Parts: sequence; C-alpha cells; structure tokens
Amino acid sequence: MTVGFCPGCGADLSSGTGFVQEFWSGEDQNFLCWCAGCGLMCTVVISARLLSHEPGH
Amino acid sequence: MLSQEKNERLTAVGPGTPMGNLLRRYWWPVATHDMAGRVPVRRRLLGEDLVLFRDAGGRLGLLAEQCPHRRASLALGCTERTGLRCGYHGWLFDADGRCLEQPGEPADSTFASRIRAVSYPVAELGGLIFAYLGPAPAPLLPRYDLFVWPDVWRDIAHAELPCNFVQIMENSVDPYHVEWLHGRYGSFVKELAGEPPVRVVTKKHVKVAFEVFEHGILKRRVLEGQTEQDEDWKTGHPLVFPGMLRVGGGGIATFQIRVPVDDTHTWHVWYQTYRFDTPARPQASVPVYQVPLVDSRGEWLRDYVDGQDICAWVTQGPIADRSREHLGRSDLGVIMLRKLYFEQMERVEAGQDPICVFRDPAVNVCIELPMEREKFGGARAFRQMWLRESSIRYSPIRDEVLGLFGDVA
Repeated sequence: MTVGFCPGCGADLSSGTGFVQEFWSGEDQNFLCWCAGCGLMCTVVISARLLSHEPGH
Repeated sequence: MLSQEKNERLTAVGPGTPMGNLLRRYWWPVATHDMAGRVPVRRRLLGEDLVLFRDAGGRLGLLAEQCPHRRASLALGCTERTGLRCGYHGWLFDADGRCLEQPGEPADSTFASRIRAVSYPVAELGGLIFAYLGPAPAPLLPRYDLFVWPDVWRDIAHAELPCNFVQIMENSVDPYHVEWLHGRYGSFVKELAGEPPVRVVTKKHVKVAFEVFEHGILKRRVLEGQTEQDEDWKTGHPLVFPGMLRVGGGGIATFQIRVPVDDTHTWHVWYQTYRFDTPARPQASVPVYQVPLVDSRGEWLRDYVDGQDICAWVTQGPIADRSREHLGRSDLGVIMLRKLYFEQMERVEAGQDPICVFRDPAVNVCIELPMEREKFGGARAFRQMWLRESSIRYSPIRDEVLGLFGDVA
C-alpha cells in the first residue's frame, strides 16, 4: 500500500519530483506527501480503526 | 520506507543527477590548507576526479584530473610559475583551464587557443580550501561565523567515510539517537572496558522539535529535568543546508561538514573553534589531523561519541536501502530533511537558487548561526565530555586547549 497520486491535484507522485514518505504511528500507516506541482504537503493516514466523537449537545 | 527510485534521487550526487545538480549550487571544502602545495594532489568531489595545486605564483587551481591532450593524470604534473604542466607531453594549463603552451606543436600553431582543461573556482577560508563545481555565476563563498571569527583558536579533523552523505546528514535531525547510541550503547562499551558511563549523553528526551529556517533545519530538545527555558529548547542548534551540522557548547563550536565525494564516500570534516574566557595568543596556522576509524584489529572504533556515530553511519551500508526501513514518529526530523532536499532539487530544476545560496556581499560579512552555550544543561560538563569523547581527543592541541579552558586532562 502506498500513495501514488497527489491528493490535491492528482499528479503522479511516484515519478519525478513528488515525495512520498511512509512512517508509522502506532497501528496507523502514514504517508507524508509533497507535490512539486501544486505545492500541497499533507499526510495520508491508513487508519487501523476509525474513531468518531459525537459533539456535546 | 522510501521507494528505490526516490532513494536514488536522494543519494546520487554525480553530474547530471537531480541531487548532484542541487549540490553543485554550493561551495564545498575540497581540501585542508596543508594539502595544497607545489605537488598536485588528487581530490574527488561530487563524483568528479580532480587535481588541486598551488602554482609557484601562489595561485590555487582545481582542474579535472585527466589532461585534455591524451588523458594522462595531471596529478603527474609540474607546477610552474603560472599553472600546471602535464608530466606526459608538457602541455601547460593555468588555473582557469587555459592552455598556455603545447611544446610539441608547431611554433605558429593556434591549437592551444582551442583547448581548455575543465577548471573550477577555488577559494581559501578559515584553513579550508573550497571549490564550486556548479554553473556560473558562482555564488559567494558563505562566510559562516566559525570560518571568520577573529578571536578563536581552531583545529580541523577529517576522515573519509565509506558511505553516502545523506545518511550522515539524517543523523543530525535524529536527536533520540544521542540517548541510545551514545548514552546506552556508549555506556555499554564503557562498561565492558571497566569505565564509567558518559552521564552527559544519557538523559532522556522529553520532546524534540524541528523547524525549517533560512539556514536549514533548527532542532530543539527538552531533556529530562529541563524546561522550555533551557537553551537546548530555547536556542537549539542547526543543520546547515545542505551538508553541515553546527554543534557544541561551553566555548567549543564545531561544524561537522559532510562533503559528498561520490555516491558511496563522504569526506567528513570536523571544523572546531575554541573561545576561551581569556583571549589566547593568535595561532600561527590551523592544525590539521586525521581521525582514525578502526583499531589494531580492524574493528570500527566505538569507544567515543564520534566513533559511535561513524559506526552507525557506515553500517547502514554504502547507500542506506531506504526501501527496507521502517520509520516511526521519532523519525519526523529525518522525513523533514528528505522533503527539504526534494523541494530544493525542484527549485534548481525550475531555474531558481536553492536556500543558503548567498549573492549579496552585505549579508556575507559574517553569517551568525544559533547554537546553545549551555548544551545539555551545563556548559562546563558538556565541554569536558566533548574534549574527551569527540574527535578532539585526537587533536594535537587538545592538551593546550584543556589548559586554556582551565580544565583538567
């Protein structure tokens, strides 16, 4: 599993100057992505589980 | 994990590679001052074989090693009043690569005017000789503070390491290694030798931070027992882009300069300054010494801090295989550095100057860099440890330095 395309503009990050770096945080697989085309830097997280919190009401 | 393709992009430094193009935008140390004399010396930088010489007129020159005539090595040459004469057929080249004489050619030949040796600009600063292998116009040679401070002592240590320069640079944005490589493993080595642990480097990291700034990446740490008011956090110290670490404390300041020789070798230079409470007499010249890498059995030396670092770097392999690594949250500094290299490669490919390229003389008088004085919470304790546990242990002026600081051996 990796991130092949920029989540912002869809550019191919696997070739050229795009940068995808995997790292782990507990059970979550993270991909730090930087796109030379649109400049977006973001982290895509493949989460082991989804936590949601209902806001107080 | 980084893909193999990205790893190659990150680590290949030869001509025409993206990283090679980026690194060629900077001046690099190519020799210490004592290496350049009338006898030409072979040097290798960024995958290029070079010959460094100082002609009888005192001018430094740096030429591609192979003579443009029949490709013999210009290291087998004679320095003349002006330039370097190839030992094979006597063609004479000046420091700009112009061919001044071709003894075997007819007297009325204009052939020499059409021949040039590949030449690169060189300049001396602070006891080092720097070279620029990039496109014209060359930027200014950065006058970083340690190279130009007028009132300090200096020495220069060096060693050639059999690994790529990036894995050495990554160590500089990896603060946690200090408490483990130098703290735990270093103490283990001391324990086996019947010696006490090195307490200064055993403190646990409570938190670390990294920040891209104008000179590279500034790193900060809070160690056990410290607060954000301590200099390790408040001031920090920098990785100076693209190839230096600034480190020290207690009157000692060091540049660790990682010079990419080629993809699998790095010339490591430890450039030290010592600032004493009472100014000492000026040095006649900057002492230069080599750092040994292995013991009498051929084992990597690892009974001191720099030796432990070297061990970690070279045992990652000639080029660390990042497609087989497993990074965690404690590696975010490493990730930040890699991203910075990729970003700056992109700037060069877009025709822009990368960061840390200086072209304005007004800002290049003395480039001051931040660095803690009270390193690891105590200047004196750090200094005494560093004089014993860093490459300074091999310095020919170590005992004098100890005395001038008022420390005991």
